[in-house]
Amino acid sequence: MNHRIHRRTFSSATLQGATALAIGAAAPSGWMQSLSATLSGQPTSQDRVLVVIQLTGGNDGLNTVVPHTNELYYKARPKLAIPKEDVLKFNSDVGLHPSMRGIASLMEDKKFCVIQGVGYPNPNRSHFESMDIWHSCQRKESRNSDGWLGRYFSQLIHPMSAAPTDSCGLHLGTEQLPLALVARGVQTPSLASIEQLRWKGKSESIMARDEIEKMPRAKREVDTETNLLDFVSASTTAAMQASERLEKALATPDSSGDFPNSQLGEKLKIVSRLLLAGLKTKVYYVTLDGFDTHANQLVAHSGLMRQWSEALRSFHQRLDSAGLGERVLVLTFSEFGRRVAENASQGTDHGAAAPAFLSGPKLENTLVGNQPSLSDLDDSDLKFHTDFRCVYATLIEDWLGASSKNILTAEHPKITQLGLQL
Amino acid sequence: MISKTIPANSRLEDIDPTIAWQTWEPSDEEPWDNRRASLLHRRAGFAATQEELHATLSLRPEFVVANMVRSETGNNSDVGTFESDSAELAKAVLATSDAKQLAAWWLHRMLNTPTPLVEKMTLFWHGHFATGAEKVQDAELMRSQNTLLRDNALGNFQNLAQGIAKDPAMLIYLDSVSNRKAHANENFARELMELFCLGEGNYSEADVQQLAKCFTGWEIRRKQFRFNPYQHDDSKKMLLGKSGIESGESAIDCVLASPHMPRFIVRKLFRFFVSEDANPSDAFLGPIADQFVKSNYSIASVVQSILGSRLMLSGWSIGRKVRSPIELAIGWMRTMRCTTNVGFLSDRLRTIGQAVLFPPNVKGWEGGRAWINSSTLVGRANLIYELIHHDKTRFDGVTLLAFAERNHAKDPDQLAAWFAKLFFIDDLSGTERERLMKSLDPSKPDRWATQSMVYLTSLPRIHLS
Repeated sequence: MNHRIHRRTFSSATLQGATALAIGAAAPSGWMQSLSATLSGQPTSQDRVLVVIQLTGGNDGLNTVVPHTNELYYKARPKLAIPKEDVLKFNSDVGLHPSMRGIASLMEDKKFCVIQGVGYPNPNRSHFESMDIWHSCQRKESRNSDGWLGRYFSQLIHPMSAAPTDSCGLHLGTEQLPLALVARGVQTPSLASIEQLRWKGKSESIMARDEIEKMPRAKREVDTETNLLDFVSASTTAAMQASERLEKALATPDSSGDFPNSQLGEKLKIVSRLLLAGLKTKVYYVTLDGFDTHANQLVAHSGLMRQWSEALRSFHQRLDSAGLGERVLVLTFSEFGRRVAENASQGTDHGAAAPAFLSGPKLENTLVGNQPSLSDLDDSDLKFHTDFRCVYATLIEDWLGASSKNILTAEHPKITQLGLQL
Repeated sequence: MISKTIPANSRLEDIDPTIAWQTWEPSDEEPWDNRRASLLHRRAGFAATQEELHATLSLRPEFVVANMVRSETGNNSDVGTFESDSAELAKAVLATSDAKQLAAWWLHRMLNTPTPLVEKMTLFWHGHFATGAEKVQDAELMRSQNTLLRDNALGNFQNLAQGIAKDPAMLIYLDSVSNRKAHANENFARELMELFCLGEGNYSEADVQQLAKCFTGWEIRRKQFRFNPYQHDDSKKMLLGKSGIESGESAIDCVLASPHMPRFIVRKLFRFFVSEDANPSDAFLGPIADQFVKSNYSIASVVQSILGSRLMLSGWSIGRKVRSPIELAIGWMRTMRCTTNVGFLSDRLRTIGQAVLFPPNVKGWEGGRAWINSSTLVGRANLIYELIHHDKTRFDGVTLLAFAERNHAKDPDQLAAWFAKLFFIDDLSGTERERLMKSLDPSKPDRWATQSMVYLTSLPRIHLS
């Protein structure tokens, strides 16, 4: 018997099988509802998607949302303050960095909201520790090896379901999987680029895949925690499944419109293609690095603000034109803001509270919370008034329709001024 | 009476640290064999060739480890030729001012060095004192730093820390080319304590601010370190509970004298050489940390103890590390005596997460499970697939098929056994051998070696060391 032919038959059967499952034949009930709701046109929380944009390095909140009438701001930043006349003002107190025209236009349409003064008690000024706090919602002493979105995925996954379906989350980028997405027993794929998905030795590796797919899911979930080989095997299965599913989803021609030719633009373009291709993934996670502006901040920060703003506008425009605009909410955050006073290198050092941002669907408010005081400081840094976990609670409860208590490991009040509930 | 052996499946917390860190000695139950010798080469270097494995097995293990740490090969003319070739190549590369080419030059060193532990430790310190060429924008300064790391790779940690604090590439990377009295820049001061010496939580915010003041007046001018007394804050500072600290140099010594330092460094070496998955207690690391202090911060001394320990060589460590992209690619190429276009290799390593001279951030590479995700797994499989099929690729100068035959691997089964012995943590299972046979295309009998290698390198265990 010719093994080559045998293998091909096997391969295409698997492919069809996987597709059938992904469309819903044996998928968890949530996905079924989602599909029928999409067909009947009634939105449910199962249709909703969350995209997280992480600004890595500590975004300077004060030069993003500028307090353009506050003398203390101009006093603390003789070289770095944004001149009042350049600020894109949206009220008499605050306005946006001049590179944020794209976001200003989203704001005019009430599709972008600034949440001021976000942070947490006893702010940690290490990038890595503060990022881990945002990702895990826990301090180092009490931290487990999972993240807030990972815990959401664990709630979402039906434990008995062995069906390969679209992963709950998808991370786009070459950096390691963000802790926020790490879950017990659920592997979230990372995707660096569409081209990198193509598994070149597929035909030779098919037998290895066959072996991996026969591993019962339960075993993978239990043993990946302790056994390194089980972890690598489960990850290989996830990779092969993601590779096949995404290759298939992206087989249709690229109709994703004009996206800026930037790192973030490219990533959001891929997300828009996957959304348009009907992928059932609930959470997409992308990062934009370079915000650690200790020196010569003005030019670097301006470029980053433009990149973020233009990529975000293109993304929402593309989704709006495809009729998906009301289904996709974007959260943008950074691990901390920067110190109020500039340093001697025309930069700013690590700070504390900063704004977080939501965008996408029509929102009830474009500005939530007051600008933290520039005179009442905590160790030279802005004080937070809104715990970041309240932002998460709002997203989990009102946008994703899940219960936030276990995910956030405690109850946190929601922000009520956004109007995200169905 | 405590058992002197360490069962392979014991939990780390059940292992007595004094037993773990004793020098391992072969016995009837634990012979000096292929599994242990190939493990030592994977961890201390980038995986062994057949010849290296043979040579290693003919010597006593403690002698092998001592030679590795002293960078001795038995044939010093090898080292001389390698170094003069490498210096010539570096000159040509620096003429292009392209740091990516310099990265390829370093990979070329890793592929060809007769003393792999030196390159492995240089890579360790590069990840520890991570500095990115995209910000430094000067290949010459990256090369100077690389030389500093290599010269001190197995030397004295105090010299290395003092050296890196004045290294132009490092100071450019951490925005510290000018530190003025009026507003001290905290970046380098913070990372010196958080990432280089003590670990997060082992210092206060006030320490960061005081340490930053000690570094005022430190500058880079015309690519060189310079001390500018007019910009130096010469007040006496209180640092980590000690008063009267004034200069940057004395501040570094003060940081190094913190009781947190030895465990922080030794923990990182444990992760690099033994396992990222096991999380040793401070008490477990105690004997090695004490040795670090007693040896006056000798890196060679603690690396020798770790590599030659019972914990390493009794077998407990086998399969407890994920291969880094470099360990996978350079290791596979060294084992296979593979030569190829190094620029191509460098490019591909970037896509799977380990571009040397371009670390992801100041924390370096996380390592362990963080190497593994869907993209990198597809990328890893594709990297080896492409290396096998690249038209510049040769194995000891010949085709893969001829190379297999030269090593007495005359069929897929023999090739699998030969390869597993050198590169896998254990032999293939019976089912895997059956599947190997099924994966071959009988219509292409001259392709069996290539097809077998693609199959073998797609097995999940290829990622474990």
